[in-house]
Amino acid sequence: MAFLLPSIYAFGASLAFAIVFNIRKDKLLLSALGGAIGQLTFILFQLVIPNDITLYLLSTIAISLYAEILARVTKSPTTIYLIVALIPLVPGGGVYYTMLHFIKGEIDLGIITGLHTLGISGALAMGIVITSSSVTLLRKIIITTQKKKKKVEVKQ
Amino acid sequence: MTGSQLSYLVMEIGCVLLSNGAETYRVEESMTRICLSMGAQEAEIFVVPTTIILGITMTNGEHLTRTRRLHLRGIDLTKVECTNNLSRRICYESLSYNNSIFEINRIKNKLPYPYYLQVLSFAFVAQLFTLFFGGNLVDSCIAFIIGLIIKLQFDIMTRFEGNIFFINIVGGAIAASISLFMLKIGLTHQIDAIIIGSIMTLVPGLSITNSIRDVIAGDYLSGLIKGIEALLIGTGIATGVAIPLSLLKSFWGI
Repeated sequence: MAFLLPSIYAFGASLAFAIVFNIRKDKLLLSALGGAIGQLTFILFQLVIPNDITLYLLSTIAISLYAEILARVTKSPTTIYLIVALIPLVPGGGVYYTMLHFIKGEIDLGIITGLHTLGISGALAMGIVITSSSVTLLRKIIITTQKKKKKVEVKQ
Repeated sequence: MTGSQLSYLVMEIGCVLLSNGAETYRVEESMTRICLSMGAQEAEIFVVPTTIILGITMTNGEHLTRTRRLHLRGIDLTKVECTNNLSRRICYESLSYNNSIFEINRIKNKLPYPYYLQVLSFAFVAQLFTLFFGGNLVDSCIAFIIGLIIKLQFDIMTRFEGNIFFINIVGGAIAASISLFMLKIGLTHQIDAIIIGSIMTLVPGLSITNSIRDVIAGDYLSGLIKGIEALLIGTGIATGVAIPLSLLKSFWGI
């Protein structure tokens, strides 16, 4: 149960954020599920991988894959699912502790925490870049091959 | 559809998309597609987060340019989705001019969720994130109250057109002051969880996501603008939290 609790909280927080961002009623639950999926991936891979920046990268990849697939299935913009699911992964704690170290005068600890937070943000960005670019490339390849097949059929 | 009608319709669609939180490349792509499918020969569209510039050449050689500057920007993803579907319908089903204008006005006047529900969900975000970052039930209830106050402060200051940087400084300061007060009277001993949970409500999720997606699509200018916006908001929140933490802590001796 202790494993599942963070993903339940993330689900609730994403659901509340979906209402703040005014997402349509029939897509509220689907978009909130993305937040839970991100945390679930994080917790599951935590058992294998010790480095948390890699974990953030993996969770972001899972989330954006979920968002891209749902966007194609329900024919709506990808952002609707992506934004809400991404928020529980944003390193708010990292920013807070960086600031706390700096106002306490512990500059060296502040710089270490700040660089770690920067690494997490970079992992989030790279996760979205990798998934979304590969999905777009795959889609374009499929569309081009279909067009070629049609041309061949017309010629025959 | 004449040139001026087409440019008016396309500009309306672009404005609704851009001012409610769509990515820049989506706005440009939808506008270009509608123009080309409704009989324009050429369509050149340039969009940055605050301006749309549109130039079209019709098949009879008529040339038109329109510019619009956007001042109010909000987040309403229902409007983005509906407008996206509408632009797809205009392209594939070729709706008439009057029908399209009727549809776009209907989307513009769509009501969001009732205000009390928005305030409550904002507060629930703070409560659940406090639990998420390791607070107990009492801590989460304190965060719920902070969430209510931050939402009201956010809306009041937005109505008086305060700048986004200052709004976030005040929001962070409210979160830190109330948590420190609760620590002082002995209701909690985990102010870290409460403060992190409350400031997660202010995190610029839309700017971060849109900036990354714009950079992927090749709109480096818009991506940079939104990235800087996200960075400024983040710095504002951290500054806001730092002021009470460094001042009140010394005076109250916590």
